[in-house]
Amino acid sequence: MPEFTAAEYSAILLSLKVSMVATLLALPFGFLLAYLMTFYQFRGKVALDVLINLPLTLPPVVIGYLLLLLLGQQGFIGRHILQPLGIKVIFTWKAAVIATAVVGMPLLVRSIRIGMESIDLGLIHASRTLGAGPFDSMLTVVMPLALRGILAGSALMFGRGLGEFGATIIVAGNMPGVTQTIPLAIYDYAGSPSGDSMAKALCVVAVIISVAVLLCHEYLGRRMIRAD
Amino acid sequence: MELSVAVSKKFSTFNLTVDCTVSEQRVGVFGPSGSGKSTLVNLIAGLQSPDEGVIQLNGETLFDAQTSLAPEQRRIGIIFQHPHLFPHLSVRGNLLYGLKRCTPLDRRIDFDSLVAVLRLGPLLERGVNNLSGGEKQRVAIGRAVLSNPRLLLMDEPLSALDDRLRFRIIHHLKTVCETFKIPYLYISHSLLEIRLMTDTVLVFDHGRLVEQTSGEQLARDRMGHSPVGYINLLELSDMTERDDMCAYRWQGGELLLSASNRDTVNGLFELSSKDIILFKKHPEAVSARNLLHCAVLGLFESGEKIGVDLQAGSGRLIAEIVPTAVRELDIHVGSPLYAACKASAFRKLSDNQTNHKEQFS
Amino acid sequence: MKTLLTVALTTITTVFCLASSLYAGEINLFVAASLKEALNELSDTYARSHPGVTFRKNYGASGALAKQIENGAPADIFISANTEWMEYLKSKKLSDDKSIDTFAYNVLVFAGKPEMKVGKLEDLLKLEKIAIGSPKSVPAGEYAMAAFKKAGIDTGLEKKLVFAKDVRECLMYADRGEVDGAFVYMTDAQQAAKNAKILFTVPQEYYPRVTYPMALTVAGARNADAAAFFVLLRSAVAKGILRKHGFIVL
Repeated sequence: MPEFTAAEYSAILLSLKVSMVATLLALPFGFLLAYLMTFYQFRGKVALDVLINLPLTLPPVVIGYLLLLLLGQQGFIGRHILQPLGIKVIFTWKAAVIATAVVGMPLLVRSIRIGMESIDLGLIHASRTLGAGPFDSMLTVVMPLALRGILAGSALMFGRGLGEFGATIIVAGNMPGVTQTIPLAIYDYAGSPSGDSMAKALCVVAVIISVAVLLCHEYLGRRMIRAD
Repeated sequence: MELSVAVSKKFSTFNLTVDCTVSEQRVGVFGPSGSGKSTLVNLIAGLQSPDEGVIQLNGETLFDAQTSLAPEQRRIGIIFQHPHLFPHLSVRGNLLYGLKRCTPLDRRIDFDSLVAVLRLGPLLERGVNNLSGGEKQRVAIGRAVLSNPRLLLMDEPLSALDDRLRFRIIHHLKTVCETFKIPYLYISHSLLEIRLMTDTVLVFDHGRLVEQTSGEQLARDRMGHSPVGYINLLELSDMTERDDMCAYRWQGGELLLSASNRDTVNGLFELSSKDIILFKKHPEAVSARNLLHCAVLGLFESGEKIGVDLQAGSGRLIAEIVPTAVRELDIHVGSPLYAACKASAFRKLSDNQTNHKEQFS
Repeated sequence: MKTLLTVALTTITTVFCLASSLYAGEINLFVAASLKEALNELSDTYARSHPGVTFRKNYGASGALAKQIENGAPADIFISANTEWMEYLKSKKLSDDKSIDTFAYNVLVFAGKPEMKVGKLEDLLKLEKIAIGSPKSVPAGEYAMAAFKKAGIDTGLEKKLVFAKDVRECLMYADRGEVDGAFVYMTDAQQAAKNAKILFTVPQEYYPRVTYPMALTVAGARNADAAAFFVLLRSAVAKGILRKHGFIVL
């Protein structure tokens, strides 16, 4: 096992940080989207469903490129919103978070939807007749009962985020200490003849983290069942 | 309370059209499955919207062409067929759910009183997932009542329970609504439940209101068409064992029932009108263990049978006989008769564990 | 049965002949990215006078190319942007050592947005984002890092560096304006830049001379066409084309 330098530790910490922030950022949106798709009928629902699931089937590089076109110096949001506010997104840590969030969102929404779809509508009706408005009902009945779906989706998204490469490298670039996550570091090493041993070592780290995340998720899932 | 409903709603299988006003406290909605009863509940509560019409409660418009109050604003509680208890909350959490969402001004009902009436004390800190069916429904009742509704809708609340439990829960339902003075709409396809719970009954068929009557009247009307006849409901108490039988006190005197009722000291029993035989003169010897001296209060037609309304002591019974028998025995209002019924003809509906002062009418 | 056997044997032999004829007249070039245009012109020139010869060109970061050759990728000629990767190939006994020669030289420059007020290395500390090739595999990046160390600005630039996979990607970042500037070769900057222009040339004392060693691989030495093309690469014609593209040749 080769010695990790500061650059490698930085990559590991960065991976964890980016995935964590992306998951936390995506959670409220993912939850609301799943709620909307599960409990409401409206025009354009199919279109929205397709849009949400698009990152699942699009190559991540395409997603990255589209984000670049949107948020870059010449992009629509870049030119009209970000530049006037002086916010730079491309080639920053924020871009890595956005790329990870976009790529992982369909996984999150799917899991939460599955959790929500198993909720008995009768419970929601009951809560409404007991005085809870739609928002109240969502927070006090739907959310707790969808918790397993939320956790499963978060774990899945976090895991996917740790491995996110294609979109990240386009929109956040390979910047050691700033956006170079574990996959980017492995890519960097893999391109160099002397980098194989380090690349392998980082792979091992990636596997260990993924296993830890999945075990944690399993454990939490069991604790959720009220056994009395 | 005054509830007026004038609505219509189209479905693929039938059209629901209702136009009625009720001012009583205890109203029943009776009809076979699929007659639109549950839909009516959903429309009144706001869970579904009519295609057109007006719904008003105590003068306030719940629904019309311009307004449609959301369910949480209507303060109408529902007790469903299935308890729909929140699995992630304890019994206490479930009970308090509606109470918390009630403005302090509207909170008339005291938590501890309700827990005492429904005997939920020992269950309070438990989770709801492993409760028995009866326990769950009691919690559901408590939860709905604690939300201090202006009107309580009960949509077949006992259908999912087995017979033993059903009539015990009826007792809880009645007690709670009477104690806390909550008007209710009781929906059921069981005439027995309707008779026990309500005064006025709205009869539905295929989405239309066909008549507005009383449970008692409905039972009499159906007597001739029903395989079980008219069900007499008898409140029996203070059982003592005698001669291998169970002797009970009843308003109309003493009744002897089969020994199988040994474990029931007080209870609600049913006796079919078909199981009562009438004698013009006192039969010297008869195998039936119960023989009551009665006077005829009235006669009514029901299908091809004649219902005989009898006064026995301070109790009332209805027997059914064929018109020929009426002529033969020359039965008319005031005629003295003897009514006989076998000890085995009585069926227990529920036993009442505690002394309760309520009288089922 | 005998006819079947004959047909089968004839087919197999024909296929093999065809296959070997496919290999004949094919030259595999593994060349540093910065030499792309120059090598394209040179190979076109050769192809015009040698019809029947096809080129398979692989342009990229020299380190990445060396690794591919090491892993068995078919290469006849390797031109690297620094001596390190040629030495590497030599140590793995993959190069035909007697053919090793110097192809050209180049100069490292910093190209960026015209409005940037940078004239020397130390000015870089004022900038937010700077693109260089990944030093692990791109010589241009290695040269840049050497310059930073010499000038003492390497720690200061730590979180500002964006690594690119080769020098052309570097230039693309600068051109798009996503970075303030990029370290590329003089020849690259002259090449493409629509929006980026050369802001300063890195003084030679800060980094080792950009040298492009060239060699036939062991496989290439056995390839007659490759050997012939290699001769062209060392000729005056080649030097003329290189100078035209901005490279330094002796």
